[in-house]
Amino acid sequence: MAFLTISGDPSSRWEEVAHVVAQFMDFELVTQTRLAQWMTEEFGETPLDARAWAPAAVAILARLAREHPLVIALDGAEHLFRPAPWVLRARITTSDAHRAGKLMLDLRLEKPEALARLRALDDEQKRLRKARFGRASSDPASFDLTLNLANMDAAQAADMLAAAAAKRLDQQGLLSPNAADEIEFETRLELAKRGIVPAGRARMTRASFGHPSEEMFANLLDFYRIQWEYEPRSFPLQWDKDGRVTEAFTPDFYLPELDFYVEVTTMKQSLVTRKNRKVKLLRAIYPHINIQVFYQKDFQELVFKYGLKMVHS
Amino acid sequence: MTAARENVPDNIERILFTEEQVSARIAEVAAEISEKYRGRDLKLIAVLKGSVFFLTALARAITIPVKIDFLAISSFGGPSHGPTPGLVRIAKDLDEPIHDEDVLLVEDIVDTGFTTRYLLQTLAGRGPRSLGICTLLDRSVRRIVQVPIDFRCFEIPDRFVVGCGLDHRQLYRNLGYIAVLDPERG
Repeated sequence: MAFLTISGDPSSRWEEVAHVVAQFMDFELVTQTRLAQWMTEEFGETPLDARAWAPAAVAILARLAREHPLVIALDGAEHLFRPAPWVLRARITTSDAHRAGKLMLDLRLEKPEALARLRALDDEQKRLRKARFGRASSDPASFDLTLNLANMDAAQAADMLAAAAAKRLDQQGLLSPNAADEIEFETRLELAKRGIVPAGRARMTRASFGHPSEEMFANLLDFYRIQWEYEPRSFPLQWDKDGRVTEAFTPDFYLPELDFYVEVTTMKQSLVTRKNRKVKLLRAIYPHINIQVFYQKDFQELVFKYGLKMVHS
Repeated sequence: MTAARENVPDNIERILFTEEQVSARIAEVAAEISEKYRGRDLKLIAVLKGSVFFLTALARAITIPVKIDFLAISSFGGPSHGPTPGLVRIAKDLDEPIHDEDVLLVEDIVDTGFTTRYLLQTLAGRGPRSLGICTLLDRSVRRIVQVPIDFRCFEIPDRFVVGCGLDHRQLYRNLGYIAVLDPERG
């Protein structure tokens, strides 16, 4: 089995389930942000036509799945692949009350506002699905498994999906090179008909942390089931007179559910001061960006409180 | 009674809030809670082990009838996890359902907000009528995840504190005051 697709209604916590399953199975997690980066690497900066999105995604994912099984956490992911032994398509659902409850907590909304936001998110999801896949909603038959989170938490759902994925992997193995070639050929052909030719080749790079403290912070986020992306975006901070970027800042982590960046630092004071200056500049230039610095003392407290071991480089 | 310095453990750097200050502030917050939840069935939920001391003091100062319940979660880097930290889970669940009840989560401290967010998500999924947070200490300078705190006794600086349920390697929970701990001392 090469692909475990996980999708669901907005605010049903399907992204969290996907994150946990990927962690349990040691599969690569494909999020919207990660796929968008790969699409830029492969097809350039110009956004693709909505109807080209699915074949472009599949072309990339089929190639990457030769290296590693993937958990694909994308809206409408169930439509990416036709039913096959190498794909397991899961849907996460829950009641509107639970979905609104999540919004109330995450966005600090009152219930009426949360319900209104939920309707807006549902409408946005339908619009996106219609544009990409030609249909606004999913037929239940588009899924191999549907799990209801009304009476179980994300970790329990992830346990079940991991068991199903492990069974399928055991029986079917990974995506064969022939099957991958066939998928890639079909999708490249479809893209070519639309005049879309890859400009580059996206590569899967697993997070390679620059410092042990970053790995510990990633572990901390995993522990609390908080989705993260490592260094997904750089922010230009200074430009020369010709408009070329002369200084940029790449925060270590982005937490997509919280729309929050975190910079981790355990280095010596002079470097901390430099980082603080960059964070201050970033806040001034991009006031809508939320960023927090996780300092050495925060780690000391973790190490101190829980008796953790941390290797200092 | 305020601890005399000779009774204070050596690695206590300084006392942030004395026993008298803690008691007085808990009484004030308890009065606010009593007022807000008057005429309703309030359930206080504390997270083992740190919040037990605060829950006890708070519940005794609240003037309306309250129910109490406890839960425990696995801790980051805890002994059960092996080389990786694993995943936060409920280690001891509530004894009774909270559906349609007014629930107040009682915390000893909220800092990054990671633990509190997990607890709120877990409790919110069980359909309480309302769900609030009351914390003894708020170290908001460290907040990464924003959580809605309804009642807080003290805002504290970015230092490691012990006492009133907060521990260092399971010690110092029983101190009646809140103090900054210096691990290098003593």
